[in-house]
Amino acid sequence: MDNPTTVDRRKFLGAIGVTVGGTGLAGAGLVAAPQLVKAAAEPPKGKIPDTPYKTGHMTFLTGPAAVLGEPSLKGHTLAAEEINAQGGFLGKRKIETITADEAAGTDANVKELRRMKLEGKIDLFTGVISSGNTPALGPVAEEMSLLTMFVDGCTDFLFDKAVPQPKYTFRLTNIQSSDGITAAIGTAQAWPQTRKIAHLHPDYSYGRNAAEHFTLAIERLLPGTQVVSESWPKLGTTDFTSHITKILSSEPDLLFTSVWGGDYVAWYKQALRYGLFDKMKVATTLAFGVAPHALGKDHPEGVLAGVHANYHFTYPGGDRWPVNKAFVQRYFKRWNEYPNFQSEGSYVTLYMLKMAIERANKLIGGWPDDEAIIGQLEGLGFDAPSGYLYIRPDNHQGYKDAVTGFSKNNAEYPFPTWDPNRIITIPIRNITAPANWPKPGNGHNESTAAADWIKKTWPKAMG
Amino acid sequence: MSILIIQILNSLFYASVLFLIAAGLSLIFGVMRIVNMAHGTFFAVGAFATAWLVARAVALGLPAGWTFLLIPVGAGAVALLGIVIEPLLRPFYRRAEEYQLLVTFGLLLILEDVIRVVWGGLPLSADPLMDALPIIRIGGLIYPAYNLVVIAVGAVAALLLWAGIYRTKFGVMLRATSQDRRMASALGLNVGLVYVSAFAIGCFMAGLGGAIVVPTQAAVLGMGIDALILAFVVVVIGGLGSLQGALVGALIVSFVRTAGIQFFPEIELAVLYLIAVVVLLVKPTGLFGSA
Repeated sequence: MDNPTTVDRRKFLGAIGVTVGGTGLAGAGLVAAPQLVKAAAEPPKGKIPDTPYKTGHMTFLTGPAAVLGEPSLKGHTLAAEEINAQGGFLGKRKIETITADEAAGTDANVKELRRMKLEGKIDLFTGVISSGNTPALGPVAEEMSLLTMFVDGCTDFLFDKAVPQPKYTFRLTNIQSSDGITAAIGTAQAWPQTRKIAHLHPDYSYGRNAAEHFTLAIERLLPGTQVVSESWPKLGTTDFTSHITKILSSEPDLLFTSVWGGDYVAWYKQALRYGLFDKMKVATTLAFGVAPHALGKDHPEGVLAGVHANYHFTYPGGDRWPVNKAFVQRYFKRWNEYPNFQSEGSYVTLYMLKMAIERANKLIGGWPDDEAIIGQLEGLGFDAPSGYLYIRPDNHQGYKDAVTGFSKNNAEYPFPTWDPNRIITIPIRNITAPANWPKPGNGHNESTAAADWIKKTWPKAMG
Repeated sequence: MSILIIQILNSLFYASVLFLIAAGLSLIFGVMRIVNMAHGTFFAVGAFATAWLVARAVALGLPAGWTFLLIPVGAGAVALLGIVIEPLLRPFYRRAEEYQLLVTFGLLLILEDVIRVVWGGLPLSADPLMDALPIIRIGGLIYPAYNLVVIAVGAVAALLLWAGIYRTKFGVMLRATSQDRRMASALGLNVGLVYVSAFAIGCFMAGLGGAIVVPTQAAVLGMGIDALILAFVVVVIGGLGSLQGALVGALIVSFVRTAGIQFFPEIELAVLYLIAVVVLLVKPTGLFGSA
């Protein structure tokens, strides 16, 4: 729509359902949050084979992305150990895991997926972090009829274009477009006076997606802002001095960046020494996406520290959400460190599968085939450590309320965490295209269904 | 104006690090005629070793100023690693280039895994060195004085390397071996010793690059591969095997990169390869290379 209607900003943020503070999760879910970890209430029906259930977990084990990859495998391993301690799926089938290094590159990863299925005889393929990989792996998984639950690799492109009608492929973490939109909402909420914006993104699909959706949303939330500087470093860059000087030279009110992993650590240390954080606000999509202990206490406070719009282990905090409290405790006990959103995603993946298998078994008895498991996964909703997670049947995509917060050095932890009083939550349905919104190529040529949806339905905020 | 000064300093800083990596790569190629794919990983080892040493030293109560001594220690550790590895590579010097590339690429993968096993997957930092030196004001902007030290180290290393190769007896031996190793051997030179020394010096340079750069950023997995690619662009432009080429190539790459970042952000990635393509078309051996 060329001339969006206008609406008061405060009402707009209210209509989107933006909540600031620790109160986002009040509601029915809280009253009786079930423990994820508990043996099935009744014994499984029918005869269950005791052959192992083989899973293939692909994630970054080397390279700068290993700061996200290691936590992913640790979450998976913890869930597998817990389920195996109860005898495995349906008390009989123990989970066995083979791993693959995602850093091998997209072509090699596709070959490895085929090898895992044909030689390793895996029953489930899971993991995967890069948005460059899921669109290549998804179609192959469909072709081989291999049950696949991607933890991340959250590009909209996967279910918009690469696998528009998924059968075997699922994905847990929030869709990528919601990441940039969440950062935009956080910015509009915290710093409505922002006018001049600088961008710094890794030059590949993720950085492009974050920049595009942030910009689309901010144009509606804060009309009149302008982009004063752009930088597109290569993924894996560690020298950012020239980028930082360029950003300073454009004198922005706000820097929005989607630099992540080891790159982000190298970046913030340089930005600190160049005084960048004193001169502007900084909004990120993934500052807190890495393993929490990868960041030092020197990380500045007050940065909008994104977690891919997914999960930070401190939220929901305290005793308000026992599922999370229990998960963080068990994870810490097992690995002597705190989880990141990949850990949670991998952990939840196996429990979600367990739940689907148990429900399918109850219906049909015996070991359910993949068709029956898929039937249960579609539309499945349950309480995960991060909050309520729902798998939408139309696109097999996981949806949970988006969350972000502001960095703060709390004394409890040896690394920065969120300011517990300024956590922002947004109901996911309000920042993602609804089910059956036309996909790119069907009546529009936007990059994602979400982009088209924003352009056609979001009003412009005033005041 | 202050932006211009800082961008020039940024470029010199980057050139200094690139030169240290590319000069070692070039030196090793010049003497042994082997393209060492693992060279960038020696740079990463220097960064990880130094960051680890600094953290240890600070934990033991060493004052921050003294930690500067750990920079040559970190670089020296990489030189020692080079002394161990060089004899293992020696059987491949006479083999076809494909074998050399495969073997040194295998070495790269092994060393990357060694880094991960020894130091884990998390970024390591060496902030105390950076914080030991003041922040300088340039116009309305600030600049860390430590970065000037990096520029100075690069310049001094270039001078020393030049003097060592062109003004000492050892340099004559190096050059003699690089020009004709059989003749040098026939004249009584201990070619094996020359090889191991050249390899160690090359590794020391790369390790020094990693050691001086790590306080400004952090040691992260994969940093060696990024460094290797840029070092290749430098030597393609400057000419493989030439010291002047490494210096001029490093300066061209870093100034063009900075200009790209400042004025043409969309082609930051492509601009370096474009220069390399132009040089390859006009002078395939590089600006200072010989066929």
